Amino acid sequence: MQALAPTPQQVAPAGRTLDVDNLTVRYGSAVAVDGVSLAIEPGEVVALLGPSGCGKTTLLRVIAGFVRQAGGRVLVDGAGIDHLPANQRNVGIVFQNYALFPHMTVAENVAHGLRARGQRGAAVGQRVERMLAMVQLGAFRERLPRQLSGGQQQRVALARALAVEPSILLLDEPFAALDRNLRLDMQIEVKRLQRQLGLTTILVTHDQDEAMSVADRIAVMNKGKVEQFDTPVAIYDRPQTLFVNGFIGTTNLLPGKVMAVMSDTATVALQAGATLRLPAPQGIAAGSSVILSVRPEQLVLSPVATAESWPIEPGLSLPLGPQLVLEARATCGTALKIVEPRRRIPTEVQRRFCALAPDARPSLFPRSTPSATE
Amino acid sequence: MSVASDLIDRPREEGRLRLAEWQLALPLSLAFAALFLAPLLLLGATSFFNDEKITQPGFASWTKFFGDPFNYKVILDTLLLGLKTVCATVVIGYPVALVYIDLPARLQKVLIFIIVMPMLLSVVVRTFAWIVVLGREGVVNQLLLWLGVISEPLRLLQTELGLVISLTQIEMPLMLLPLISVMSRLDPNLRDASAALGASRWRTLFTVIVPLSMPGLVAGCLLVFASSTTAFISQTVIGGVRLIYLPLVIWQQSLVVYNWPLAAVASLSLVVSVLSVIAALSYLGRRSSRHLHG
Amino acid sequence: MTVNRRTLLAGVTALGGTSLLPGIAHAKGSVVATTYPGTWEDAYRTVIAPMLKKKDDIDLELAPLFAMDQIGKAKAARGAPPFDVFVLDPGPRIVGIEAGLFDKFDGKKLSNFSKLPAGFTDEYGVQVSAQVVGIAYNPKKVPAPKGWGDLLKDPWVSRLGITGFQTTFGTSALIELSKLFGGSLTNVDPALVELKKVLPKIAAVGLPAAMPGLFQQGQCDVMYTNTQTVATLKGKGIDVEFVKPESGAVAFYTTMHIAKGTGELANSYKYLDVVVSKDAQGALTKPPYNFIPVNKDVELPPELPMKSLDEMTKYVQLDWSKINPLRASWIEKFNKEMAK
Repeated sequence: MQALAPTPQQVAPAGRTLDVDNLTVRYGSAVAVDGVSLAIEPGEVVALLGPSGCGKTTLLRVIAGFVRQAGGRVLVDGAGIDHLPANQRNVGIVFQNYALFPHMTVAENVAHGLRARGQRGAAVGQRVERMLAMVQLGAFRERLPRQLSGGQQQRVALARALAVEPSILLLDEPFAALDRNLRLDMQIEVKRLQRQLGLTTILVTHDQDEAMSVADRIAVMNKGKVEQFDTPVAIYDRPQTLFVNGFIGTTNLLPGKVMAVMSDTATVALQAGATLRLPAPQGIAAGSSVILSVRPEQLVLSPVATAESWPIEPGLSLPLGPQLVLEARATCGTALKIVEPRRRIPTEVQRRFCALAPDARPSLFPRSTPSATE
Repeated sequence: MSVASDLIDRPREEGRLRLAEWQLALPLSLAFAALFLAPLLLLGATSFFNDEKITQPGFASWTKFFGDPFNYKVILDTLLLGLKTVCATVVIGYPVALVYIDLPARLQKVLIFIIVMPMLLSVVVRTFAWIVVLGREGVVNQLLLWLGVISEPLRLLQTELGLVISLTQIEMPLMLLPLISVMSRLDPNLRDASAALGASRWRTLFTVIVPLSMPGLVAGCLLVFASSTTAFISQTVIGGVRLIYLPLVIWQQSLVVYNWPLAAVASLSLVVSVLSVIAALSYLGRRSSRHLHG
Repeated sequence: MTVNRRTLLAGVTALGGTSLLPGIAHAKGSVVATTYPGTWEDAYRTVIAPMLKKKDDIDLELAPLFAMDQIGKAKAARGAPPFDVFVLDPGPRIVGIEAGLFDKFDGKKLSNFSKLPAGFTDEYGVQVSAQVVGIAYNPKKVPAPKGWGDLLKDPWVSRLGITGFQTTFGTSALIELSKLFGGSLTNVDPALVELKKVLPKIAAVGLPAAMPGLFQQGQCDVMYTNTQTVATLKGKGIDVEFVKPESGAVAFYTTMHIAKGTGELANSYKYLDVVVSKDAQGALTKPPYNFIPVNKDVELPPELPMKSLDEMTKYVQLDWSKINPLRASWIEKFNKEMAK
């Protein structure tokens, strides 16, 4: 990676905090964002992750000042910015389609924000040169956007957004239009620049892998609400809701009934035919219906029946890279996916019963929770 | 991303399609040659006769027409009328187009209907409606008198002001349709991007929206100019015959005094002068939208 | 030349924005005649067409065109006339004669020949009505003017609407005005000089076709025009009265002519015979048409500006063969003098 001479602009500024406080947005009678609160630390990258229509882009547009909220506040470094129009918020934004000005050269695009702030003359040229060098596009300054590749266009968009030294950087699905290999490169590049500048950044995406790899924390959104706001590892391993559970990674859902709750351990009888002792979440009482969520890699196969295993009927097995994905069906009819390391190819006899792996961290959700997608 | 409009100019990269496109255009080209070019040649030939009976070839009609300074004034007035109408339609039409792109889809349909509706009426009807509006006892004067703004009816009919006002309304669809078709294809993110970079609404308008809507604006200007300079009915009925424009001269020469050679000279003067302004406009338009078409 | 005349007519009238196609196909016999837009068109469609159908089973197709436009279209058609019968005022009539647009006419072929006053037919056509040119004014807005000269004085001049030399009535009125100031049949300059003096006061300068509309809308309240237009405006309930100027109103005959090269010669004569018949002429004298009749058997009703056709001699009649050669230059002069 090329070393950049440190200049006043490139010394990482102290990032700003960004607080979203009980924000609500309505379009007519529809609620697009429903009482969302997020506290984002200086220099942090937060991904807003969710299916389309979940309100993540609307939330981003409220922060940028393009959309007015019905209620709630947005604060930067503790000060409300809700009264400011978009052009006074000092927020950098990169759109999914980059929104480069098609009639301006690369250099003119980058200079647009500087000129809008009243900068003139050589200072503008120097700043543009520095920004283009930063995104390694110095040689392209006289090109028009449509003469650039997708990745180059994105870097211009990034340089344009960063040229005005924004206090917050907003990325609206910035990698969605790039092909797979380029996407990874650009994710690394954006992360590098963000680190270098210490910018508080919000990334809107519907791609969980992207959120996992780029973000420090992820806010999983559904129907205008934040379902869980946590680190990628916590989101994956300890989903708080069935929705998060279903949206992140793949999971098996096994219906059952709580037989007893003792201190913080619940005894659950699965319909599939096993009785398990599991850590009990709050609000679970004896007699309530529950759903047990287990990741495919947290299930193991065994040839013998125990109290804590249940019989299955094996289906197709698919070798997937270093792993083997096995489809199976429990006696209650529930479809299961089980992932095992490839080196331990199970024989037909070994595929009779299924149980939790010793290190499994299954999640228990009350049945009344809105059912998971998929 | 291509925001480029193909109203003025088409991208030239599509070489592979050329032959097929050329063949598809053949019937229209032939019809054009037969119905447009041939009469134009006939018109040209007619102009080179000296007498009304079209028997003596010569340049007398040309020297007579261009030997009279009055006719230069008529040509100039005709072009000025076109330019004034173009300016008025731009000043009024551009904000309407800006409003249009911000409206929800349902209201956009309503607005398009309102814009197109006048085109469903014959120009004669629209013209006579303006007599009712602008007349001495018309709506405008009645209102101003009632409000006490004026004590005597204003003279609006038979003035160039009244004519430009009417033509502005009559020609407005020709400005708005190309303008809206180009502007509604503009990426709305461009305005947001510009605002987020700190640009005020006016700066965004003049540095982003106006340059990108240039193809539609130029197309609208061309249509309005060509249409208003040749709007014989509106010019004579609303403007009266004290305001003399080329179409009136052509009508008088061809259908009142039957001097067809002179009428042909006047017609060709109209065609050439209007086309020169149009060529100049579209050259400017092409230059300003060069980045879009390359 | 096998260009279908009727196809051509359809094209020509389509260009003019009028439609008269219905009925062409089933016509046993038919004749295509021009008529002036407005009162003439109404009257001929309502009165003449049914009579002709009843009497001779001929379908009358009417093409509403001003006299000048008829001549222009006939000239443009070059020998394949788009209609069989013209209706013209004296000025365009002479243009038509000079251009050789008319078939040689024989008045004796009309059964009503004896009912027409002597000299009402000639080798070019037949006189079918008389028109009087004078001053129309709105009695609710201005007092009655007495003569042409009043038009240039207050209170009339500031409510005056004028037209140029495109029409018979316009030309006639301007010549009469000119005579008051030392001009003559062939010298209209005094009229233009006097008009120019008061030009800023004049309420409207328009095309002839636009004048009734401007009068109706109150843009002008005085104008020179013919009796026919006054009758039309009155028929619409508009406040309008007609004045014979004290120096004399101009009268002229409206004539009909059979187009040279027509394929409907016999039907054309039958049409003209019906037009001058007692029944037709009588019906046309009644309101709202108020035509001045030419048939000796028809009595002139009291609404008309003259009691009998003999009075025509008391009206000013202009020699259009002297006027026509000058009109092109007069039109140009009018343009220049009146232009802003």
